[in-house]
Amino acid sequence: MQVGTKISLAAHAGLMGWVVFGAWFPSEPLPFQVQEVTMISSAEFALLSQQHQAPEIAEEPAALPVPEEEPPAPAVEPQVDPEPEIVEPEPIEPPAPDPEVTERPEPEPAPLPVPPAPEAPTLPDLTPDLPQVVEPQVAQPADRVAPTPIAPPAPDTTIDEVVQPEIAPDEGAETEQEVQEATAPEAASDRIVTEAEEQDDPVTAAPTQSLRPKTRPRRPTPPVETATPIEPVEQPVEETNDAVADAVAEAIAGGADVIAPEPSGPPLTSGEKDALRVSVSNCWNVGSLSTEALGTTVVVGVSLSQDGKPDAGTIRMLSSTGGSSTAAKQAFEAARRAIIRCGAKGFQLPPEKYGQWRDIEMTFNPERMRIK
Amino acid sequence: MRTFLTGVLLAAALLAPATAVVAQNGPLRIEITDGVIEPLPYAVPSFIADTASASELSTQIARVIASDLSGTGLFREIPASAHISKVTDFDAQVQYADWKAVNAQALITGAVSVNGNRLTVRFRGYDVFADKELDGGGLQFTGTTDGWRRMAHKVADTIYSRITGEGGYFDSRVVYVSENGPKNDRRKRLAIMDYDGANVQFLTNSASIVLAPRFSPTGDRVLYTSYESGFPQIHVMDIGKVQRRVLSTDDGIMSFAPRFSPDGRTVVFSQSQGGNTDLFTMDINSGKLTRLTSAPSIETAPSFSPDGSQIVFESDRSGSQQLYVMAVTGGEARRISHGKGRYGTPVWSPRGDLLAFTKQNKGRFHIGVMRTDGSEERLLTASFLDEGPTWSPNGRVIMFTRETQGANGRSLLYSVDISGRNLKPVRTPDGGSDPAWSPLQN
Repeated sequence: MQVGTKISLAAHAGLMGWVVFGAWFPSEPLPFQVQEVTMISSAEFALLSQQHQAPEIAEEPAALPVPEEEPPAPAVEPQVDPEPEIVEPEPIEPPAPDPEVTERPEPEPAPLPVPPAPEAPTLPDLTPDLPQVVEPQVAQPADRVAPTPIAPPAPDTTIDEVVQPEIAPDEGAETEQEVQEATAPEAASDRIVTEAEEQDDPVTAAPTQSLRPKTRPRRPTPPVETATPIEPVEQPVEETNDAVADAVAEAIAGGADVIAPEPSGPPLTSGEKDALRVSVSNCWNVGSLSTEALGTTVVVGVSLSQDGKPDAGTIRMLSSTGGSSTAAKQAFEAARRAIIRCGAKGFQLPPEKYGQWRDIEMTFNPERMRIK
Repeated sequence: MRTFLTGVLLAAALLAPATAVVAQNGPLRIEITDGVIEPLPYAVPSFIADTASASELSTQIARVIASDLSGTGLFREIPASAHISKVTDFDAQVQYADWKAVNAQALITGAVSVNGNRLTVRFRGYDVFADKELDGGGLQFTGTTDGWRRMAHKVADTIYSRITGEGGYFDSRVVYVSENGPKNDRRKRLAIMDYDGANVQFLTNSASIVLAPRFSPTGDRVLYTSYESGFPQIHVMDIGKVQRRVLSTDDGIMSFAPRFSPDGRTVVFSQSQGGNTDLFTMDINSGKLTRLTSAPSIETAPSFSPDGSQIVFESDRSGSQQLYVMAVTGGEARRISHGKGRYGTPVWSPRGDLLAFTKQNKGRFHIGVMRTDGSEERLLTASFLDEGPTWSPNGRVIMFTRETQGANGRSLLYSVDISGRNLKPVRTPDGGSDPAWSPLQN
């Protein structure tokens, strides 16, 4: 046996021995800190973030006077263990409540804390008897409805997707400073808030959401005798490509048989896919669609260049479900606008994975938007 | 030994973390389920005046189109001050980049010519981000200069229909009760106007009280209730000739709440005899009456379904005012409203899938919509007094009466989108109530 083989054998034997016997004599794990966390959704986080003005509740309720002699029993019957000796307090006038609390027309969101009376005899715990009023989560009305509610920006703030503070040059500064305008996204609600919901009590028998109605059945268009079609303006050939017609022609010609290049490289992570999804969602405006188009799901194909910009000529409708061809056309056009608008500066995608995102199929499903 | 080493290497390979990547088949696939709902930005530069006499109209027509589109709440106009491109030639190539730069997603251009009293309007619509003209978005309308507002409405209807995929409602009219004076001495007369409050004309004088006008399916006749004889009677008026006649001729019998059937041949209404109010239909040509209900309760406010097979109405037969649906031939009615409060004045949507109604609950009035089976109720408004909804021809908008509180309270017309957005007053010279929306004009 050669020396090298012996050395290798000894080393492997040592390694395997360490693997086998090392587990029998585990060392004490290093101490580490544990932090308990609670998972919340983004919508819950947004709601929490919106609660700028917490209800005013007196931190320390008015202290109850120490009883000097045994007064008659209070009207409230104790619910706790009656075993402890209870020294009856003086007749207690109704505790002077904080006027800011009692005069508030809206109910308080949380039960009032039990007045601590450390020196006084134990009073029955009234907390369970207090009504558990839950603060209604009424969405704020806004012209824009978006997946995540957005608080109204400051009056002088410029509307932009990016949030950035205002930077004004310091007076007397020696070096020239760059001026930056304050920008913030437009205020948005996560659903449509009607006047009735805006003013209504938190508890109402009426549902707050409903499906949008379907479009009425189409009827023959009455002839307009004075209407004359106008020839369209001559457009460059590449600009007159009708993506819908292309999709139809492709389907007729058996476009599905066209062999697309296989993607290469590592796949996109779920985070990268989510970023792309959110980016397109921000520009997918369904506000002007008919109710029938809002019931139509379209699958749109698009090819991107290496800088993440969509090639407008490649945007095509691959399929549609749930509506007429007219509704599918409206839905496709809204999807196409979303891709072009939000892809104008290039989608943020990892360049090293270009082979994975060069060709994308986006399914635009408006089902959730119908019940906003 | 060689076998042993091979085994060790194989074991190491199996224990190694799996770094192999499952290959993706086909293109990347993602699903978009959340979007935004906001007005679609568009631009409508002043139309080009092909003739010198068309200069004023070319601007006015563009303004009416913008008012129509923006008034829906579905569109938002990019102001002219933000335009980069100036459209000076109707047939010139559109500079899409300039309109994209101001985020105009739709563009409307047009040209107007006037020859005598003949007015010609040409227009085109563009999908800016698709770099192309809207399909069917280019048309030419010819008419008289007096009807320039109607031509503007037709252009707006075409663009609206092309972008949204549903019919427009701008070239339509509304008949309503014009109200003037204090609450205790209010003068009422029938009036008709464009849907946007323009071109108001009065159809009756204020000598007697008039109520609840309703258009015929063709928009050329109006049914209404008048107290001209001292008790309520149903009249039918030919709008073009402003001629009217009494529809019910039985003296001393109160008839009210009339509404046309979808074919325009039958009228359904309420008749009150001996303290009991029931529903009847009348053949307009023959005058033949058919009783639909005979309950000892009050049945009123009937409205046909668009296919003419069913009638929705209000009744207090259950002890409180609720909505019921029955066949057009009468028979057993099915209660469809089950929420808290009282329901009334139901109106069937032109699309046939929704009912608009008035609801009174906890001292407030609401305009709401629900499915025809009573499900998915949604309240759109809330105020001191909202009542009397009427549908736009495309079933997208509801107009109704809103009365303000107090001795000096006024009665005004309001409109709201069926989503609950875009609640706004309708401009009328005086107060107004009981609106009824016409079908689209031909």
